Amino acid sequence: MSLQRQVMASPLPGLDARRGFGGQMSMVVRGGEFLFVGGLTAVDPDSGERIRGTTMSETRRILANIKLLLEAAGSSLNRVVKVNVLLQNMLEAPEMNEAFAGFFPEPPPARTVCGACLPHGARVMIECTALA
Amino acid sequence: MMTEKLARSAIQPKNPLLNVSRSANLPHVPGIRVGDYLFLSGMGPIDPRTGGRNHGPIAEQIRTTLNNIKHLLESAGSSLERIVRVHVVLADISHVEEMDRVYREFFPVDPPARTAWSMPLRFGNGCEIECVALVD
Repeated sequence: MSLQRQVMASPLPGLDARRGFGGQMSMVVRGGEFLFVGGLTAVDPDSGERIRGTTMSETRRILANIKLLLEAAGSSLNRVVKVNVLLQNMLEAPEMNEAFAGFFPEPPPARTVCGACLPHGARVMIECTALA
Repeated sequence: MMTEKLARSAIQPKNPLLNVSRSANLPHVPGIRVGDYLFLSGMGPIDPRTGGRNHGPIAEQIRTTLNNIKHLLESAGSSLERIVRVHVVLADISHVEEMDRVYREFFPVDPPARTAWSMPLRFGNGCEIECVALVD
């Protein structure tokens, strides 16, 4: 039997990728036992409006939104196995870490951080893979 | 509880001209199948008729790259519809809208989770795309 592929429904309109994020991606897709969360930038979860702030505030906003997405899909931040963080400015990695630390249990997930040019003026983009 | 070991094997495109890791003698394979998951290497705008690089306009490079991914997935018993996660890397972030325009044609319904960003790419490529997919 083939593995299940399912696009998960978004819990709030601002996190519905068919409305925000240009409509060409799904926020969370289930594949077999894993949930794949697409790269999020900071948005208001109710309106989908882009929020541009500091590396710390954008990190907090994104992780709070990922928490909402995962919980709506029946998972949670405790079930995350791998996180990729893209930063517009690598010098601000310490601020990202400070914001990041509060969100995950011990032990936190595996993680990669790298510098990148991000679209639409975002300072932070985060994606993750979790267990369904 | 699943206890048996997942099988691991390399996958290859049916068109050998798209097997860049082999033709350029690079230390990777086009993709790996693990259980019913496929993990593809980063694919660039390789011309499937010549095996050379196609460095035309970005829209054309995206189209070529996604068609190559389609071919590789179909060679391995999967398809674009079975992709769960995509990474799109652009050499120039100002190409993101143009990339979106072409990308949308390939994923008209229930598109995969996606992360798109920009960083320097090798060989003068305007884009490189990788994905995780499920076998049919």
